[in-house]
Amino acid sequence: MGQFIARSLEAATIFTFAGLGELINQRSGILNVGIEGIMLFGATLGFIVTKTTESYLLGFLAALVVGALLGLLHGFFSITLGVDQVVSGMGVWILGFGLTTYIGSPYTGPLGLERIDTIFGVSPFFYMAVILVLLTWFVLFKTNVGLKVRSVGENPSVAEVSGIRVTRIRYACTTIGGMLAGFAGAVYALFYNPVWNYNFLMGWGFIALALVFFSMWNPLLLSGGALLFGLLWQLSLNPELFLPGIFSRYIWRMVPFAITIVVLVLISTKWFRLRWGAAKPEALGQPYYKD
Amino acid sequence: MGMNERVQLQQGDLWRDVRPGEVILEARGITKRFPGVVANDHIDFEIRAGEIHAILGENGAGKTTLMNILFGLLQPDEGEIYLRGRRVQFRSPLDAIQMGIGMVHQHRKLIPAHTVIENILLGHPQAGSVLNLKQAEEKVAALAERYGFKVDLRARVWQLSEGEKQAVEILKALYRGARILILDEPTSALTPPETERLLEAVQAMAQDELGIVPFITHKLPIVLAISDRVTVLRQGRVVARMATREATEQLLAQKMVGREVLFRLQKPDVTPGEPVIQVENLAARNDKGHLALDGVSFTIREGEILGIAGVSGNGQHELAEVLAGLRPVEQGRILFAGQDITHLPILDRWRLGIGYIPAERIDVGSIGDFSLIENVLMNYYFDEGFVRQGIIDYDKAYRLTERLIVEYNVATPSPRVKARYLSGGNLQKLILARVLSRKPRLIIANLPTQALDVGATEFVRNKLLAAKAQGAAILLISEDLDEIMSLSDWIAPIYEGRLMGMLPAAEAKKETVGAMMAGLQQEAYAS
Ligand SMILES: Nc1ncnc2c1ncn2[C@@H]1O[C@H](COP(=O)(O)OP(=O)(O)OP(=O)(O)O)[C@@H](O)[C@H]1O
Ligand SMILES: [Mg+2]
Repeated sequence: MGQFIARSLEAATIFTFAGLGELINQRSGILNVGIEGIMLFGATLGFIVTKTTESYLLGFLAALVVGALLGLLHGFFSITLGVDQVVSGMGVWILGFGLTTYIGSPYTGPLGLERIDTIFGVSPFFYMAVILVLLTWFVLFKTNVGLKVRSVGENPSVAEVSGIRVTRIRYACTTIGGMLAGFAGAVYALFYNPVWNYNFLMGWGFIALALVFFSMWNPLLLSGGALLFGLLWQLSLNPELFLPGIFSRYIWRMVPFAITIVVLVLISTKWFRLRWGAAKPEALGQPYYKD
Repeated sequence: MGMNERVQLQQGDLWRDVRPGEVILEARGITKRFPGVVANDHIDFEIRAGEIHAILGENGAGKTTLMNILFGLLQPDEGEIYLRGRRVQFRSPLDAIQMGIGMVHQHRKLIPAHTVIENILLGHPQAGSVLNLKQAEEKVAALAERYGFKVDLRARVWQLSEGEKQAVEILKALYRGARILILDEPTSALTPPETERLLEAVQAMAQDELGIVPFITHKLPIVLAISDRVTVLRQGRVVARMATREATEQLLAQKMVGREVLFRLQKPDVTPGEPVIQVENLAARNDKGHLALDGVSFTIREGEILGIAGVSGNGQHELAEVLAGLRPVEQGRILFAGQDITHLPILDRWRLGIGYIPAERIDVGSIGDFSLIENVLMNYYFDEGFVRQGIIDYDKAYRLTERLIVEYNVATPSPRVKARYLSGGNLQKLILARVLSRKPRLIIANLPTQALDVGATEFVRNKLLAAKAQGAAILLISEDLDEIMSLSDWIAPIYEGRLMGMLPAAEAKKETVGAMMAGLQQEAYAS
């Protein structure tokens, strides 16, 4: 059981990293549905670099860099070229899926390095995730930069007339979002499950995407959701633990999406909007042109 | 911080020792062309410290364009701007803001989901990396106090009234150190008491040696009352400039429109016919879920105009929406020519001959990224003549749009431009045109002349009267008492969702209507 909880926490940290990245993206108004692709890239390159150099540090660095680059790429398509963001994000995913399968398959197999040490029995990334959640929350809601990010995501033209450089902020957010997704992928492939094989990520990026909607764009709620989703995922791996025979693993895997849909329905109700205002960044997914 | 300090220094230098009456901003030969129009044609123009400078012009005369150029939102094709004698170039609003120019736009520029103080702090160089809300709140509260604005700084903007939102925008500009404050049509969305408060604030600000430029088109009395100087634009050119004390309403109107404006309406003599709409004991809720209409009953006959007079927020907008079918009825009945339409879908109401002019021309009245043709089609797409086997006859729609543009004087280079490129008043004319051209039997006109210039206002009022002469029943909602008094046959003041009475317009006194709008029941007249 202790093992089960520890694994759930590890899964939750990965959802948290990727989800926070996507949350920052979306708060600035840019939707990136391709985080699965960026995670695949981060994971695969991190895996290859660590395997060949035997250095975890270099592996994580590689993941951060490739994540940043892919974030920038998505930014270029959706901010500068004004391409439909869903299309661009899908492109990133397909690219990630295809290319990492191609690059990674020669490395199929375990990493073969000693596992990163835990701290007090918990993964070091867990502490990192906690800090990052608090930091993101603080930056978004208590600092000037955070205000700018939120404003750009709500209404870029208002931000513009207030003297904010919309494009710059959006690029910064897509880049940071990409970095976090790449890092999340690397944590998966270098720590959570250090074995490379075909389609090893099994849709975690999409769970992280759903998590952002679930969180109503709030980092604190997001970390709670990540715990829940991590638990559900772990249950799906061990369906015999809970209500065996009734819930198969595939049903468990579907639950995060089902819950997210319920949340989405809830926040779109009139009741919710009147009581809490709109939760979704108003300008999410809309390209912005100056004119 | 280095950068911010420099900016402050520049500003500090720039605005040192300003003498009252000194020319602080000078624009020379400003020219701006858009495809098909010259919006600004070699405009020369100056702003003096402590002066309120009104810019007048018809809809589409180029006021907003000039504003946007002074604020760095648009770059002029030709011309120069001098600030205290120094040539400046604004590549973006940020440049203008840093030089001490603030702007309150014709359409609100605030983020509804954020709090007031967040909106005010947005983009402020001294906001601090970690937002120091306490300190900012104190300073903003002091500014608000000084000019008599009342806003809850912690409230979210979507909860505010139009007047409060505008106060927030003014405070935002002042807090950023604006020395020149540009107000684009500041009164068009305000209720009369809000307008009064604004004007007092504007005068107080001018006394602090701020140069203020309010852009007022349709409320000439306001221009005359508060401004020191007037510049009149027509078709992008300056056609007159004078000290306000030399101006009269007639003179300004004539300069603006280029012809005599009569301020007189040809009120037709129509004998009322059959009842067109009967409303019985109507109740409905507003967006917040509160009862906004309660026990409202009235009848409008063919050829009659019923004016609903009231201060915004007393249920008149909900009334319009209920009749248009946009808002569910809680209780009561609506009969149209004897037929119960209480729960009839919107499209069926249009088909029956109900025409709706919404108060929100941008959010409800039009789709900004659609062409004028498509926007006109919104009231026509369901007509036999315009759709055949599901295919829209665009040629026909084009011809119709072209005709409406000419007939209603909509200033636009072509029917194919996007609706959001129309100036505020011209968009309003387009919406009126497409509704009235269907010759509806019932017209629900919610603030039909908002944002229109004097010429266009006169035109629209005459159009409504012409529709009346042809037997249309009209529900006129307006905050402008003069408009209500001069057009209506019956006047029903509305207060907190109830009609306070039904007065025959011929006998109604302005004072009585005003008192009833404020909630005093007039038993003698109640029907
Ligand atoms: N971005 C744009 N693209 C094309 N044409 C434009 C654009 N902005 C303004 N125009 C045109 O320039 C002219 C001047 O518009 P402007 O908005 O300055 O008028 P205005 O004086 O503010 O009118 P109103 O009183 O109706 O607000 C109009 O004919 C308008 O259609
Ligand atoms: Mg304008």
